[in-house]
Amino acid sequence: MPPFISPTDALYCPTFGGVVELLDPLFRDAIIYGGLLTLLSTGLTLTYMTTKVPNFAHGTFATVGTYVSLTAARVWNQSPYLLLPLSFFLSALIALALYIIILRPLIRRRSSFAFLMVATLAFDLLLLGMLNVYADLLSRAFKVTSRYFVLRFEDFRFADQPGLFYVTPIAVLATIVAIHIALTRTKFGVAMRATVENPALSGVVGINVNLVYAVSWFIAGGLGGVSGSLLTLWIAGNPDVGPSMLPSIFASSIVGGFLNIYGAVLGGYLVGIAEILGTSYFAHWVGSFVIAYRPLIPLFIIGITLLLAPAGLTAIGKHSLARLVRRLVASK
Amino acid sequence: MSLPSELIFIIDLIALYAVYLIISISLNLEYGYAGIPNFGKMLAVAGGAFVAGSLPGRLAAYSLGIPVEDYVRDNVIIVTQVNVGLRNNASLAMLISLATLVAAAGVGGALGFVASYPARRLREDYLAITLLAMAEGIRVIGYNYPPLVGGTLGVQVADMLAWVIPEFRYPVASVLLFAIATIVLIYMHLTVNSPLGRTLRAIRDSEIAAATLGKDIVRMRMQVLVIGSALGALGGALYGLYAGGVIATAYDRVSWTFWPWVMVVLGGAANNIGVAMGTLVFVTFRKLITFYKGVLTPYLPFDVVWLDLILLGIVLILVLMYRPQGLLPEKPIFTISRDEIQKMAKARAAT
Repeated sequence: MPPFISPTDALYCPTFGGVVELLDPLFRDAIIYGGLLTLLSTGLTLTYMTTKVPNFAHGTFATVGTYVSLTAARVWNQSPYLLLPLSFFLSALIALALYIIILRPLIRRRSSFAFLMVATLAFDLLLLGMLNVYADLLSRAFKVTSRYFVLRFEDFRFADQPGLFYVTPIAVLATIVAIHIALTRTKFGVAMRATVENPALSGVVGINVNLVYAVSWFIAGGLGGVSGSLLTLWIAGNPDVGPSMLPSIFASSIVGGFLNIYGAVLGGYLVGIAEILGTSYFAHWVGSFVIAYRPLIPLFIIGITLLLAPAGLTAIGKHSLARLVRRLVASK
Repeated sequence: MSLPSELIFIIDLIALYAVYLIISISLNLEYGYAGIPNFGKMLAVAGGAFVAGSLPGRLAAYSLGIPVEDYVRDNVIIVTQVNVGLRNNASLAMLISLATLVAAAGVGGALGFVASYPARRLREDYLAITLLAMAEGIRVIGYNYPPLVGGTLGVQVADMLAWVIPEFRYPVASVLLFAIATIVLIYMHLTVNSPLGRTLRAIRDSEIAAATLGKDIVRMRMQVLVIGSALGALGGALYGLYAGGVIATAYDRVSWTFWPWVMVVLGGAANNIGVAMGTLVFVTFRKLITFYKGVLTPYLPFDVVWLDLILLGIVLILVLMYRPQGLLPEKPIFTISRDEIQKMAKARAAT
């Protein structure tokens, strides 16, 4: 068996000695991380589909959830799981504020595309500054460690596995089923799909395009917050935990095609698993020094995807696959 | 003799202004004129700074015959010896500085090319995302690969102005940096008023129209990113040489991507004089905040750094909303008047 390497967190101690590990901890880590990335990339894809702006503040929505979890566990002495709705609503409202107060007026003023992206970057720093202020206040008022804090032991354990191992896939599944049902079975979902296809025409037939956009930002922010809340039960929390995941989140969305919700799920798991398992297998072959270079994996994934299939994996249809196979056969 | 603190403040301000002027002017070429949202400006700047951190010390040690076993481990000793050696060897110092700047520009250009290559044919948002993500990569490498810039500890940079009288070291450095920044500004002025500059504006305003007129958009875009990144790296290398030390953690998204964006947007995209003004306003504002930080600290229950971040975020959003053209809006293209063209035509006909 390869030695246990947790690339993200050295603080974790697997239950060695006496207890038989039925599941490779690496696979469990990959499942957890992939799920959390999926929640984030689903939200990012949702806002990109509707508003067509890549939101550079998306990572920081997760940090909001992280600090809700910290407050829950250390100030209110509650399980972070109980406060998930609060994380959802708080991040959702922040995302909504970004859309309504900043992006919508800019879009109305026909701002350039780059300006919209700069605005999300500016909002990211504004939010990051406020979260840092909150962290400082928290440690002053309640004597709480508010940077590089560990909440791993707040998580419950079931059948010798951390609770996250069960909660994350369930959260992903619930999200995706809910989104699927909403998009295919409800009137609002149909309106949403129409808006993604053609906002001007949807407006003409009486769909409230603004409401659709606002709802997508609300949900995206909420999912980000939930992901951040759960994330801190697994790795150490810090104000920059969300922003540092930004390349991974974008990689997941790009792999998924950026315009496909189901693609975001595929991309999230793919990037998550590639980061965790990929790093560990490379470490096994080359040496443990490669672990530190893990953040480069999403960059390679972005590069390779954009070079080979810029519209993402979900856009590779039957025809292009068949063409590829034919070409390969012909070359032989 | 030591300089009064106000004078040190101004000297330091000029140096910082010059560095940021080079970077924001290069971003203005990319974003203002060519419409490429380069959200990875930090990549080139860090690349240049890493060259300044790793190259000149080794070069100087080699040419002065100082034994180097492990440059990063014995960094402090080697740099001290090099500084003593360079004290009487102004020409060697100048030669090494020049080599460093050229190497930095080359590395910066290469980084710009590699980072934008996967997204060169895609829409601008994909390009922005790719550049932002790639820029995060260089810090990971700088932080984890000690031979480059000492990893977590950073490295000292040999003082290329060791031959100047110590009291005048910083004033001379500021004057030199400012001179280089002025040259860059003039070069940019000439570039954007050349056929290349007009082509870039045409591409920015309508890619399809420019393409139908036979302009190779992808090629132009790559060219601009290479030039812009080379200049950004020049700025980074100058900052490394000036500051006398390079550490990977100092090269973050806020200081070297976000701030240059604030300068360009505040000053006015596609107006170099405006960007120069925006940079001056921004750098002075930042310097004053740092200078008076101690005054505010007792009244705030949190670190002043965060207030700084919040204020800049708000200022940028307000500028985007209420003054999107910046301090000085873009001006029509500078062209030769009809009379002069006629005169030139006559002169040509006469010969």
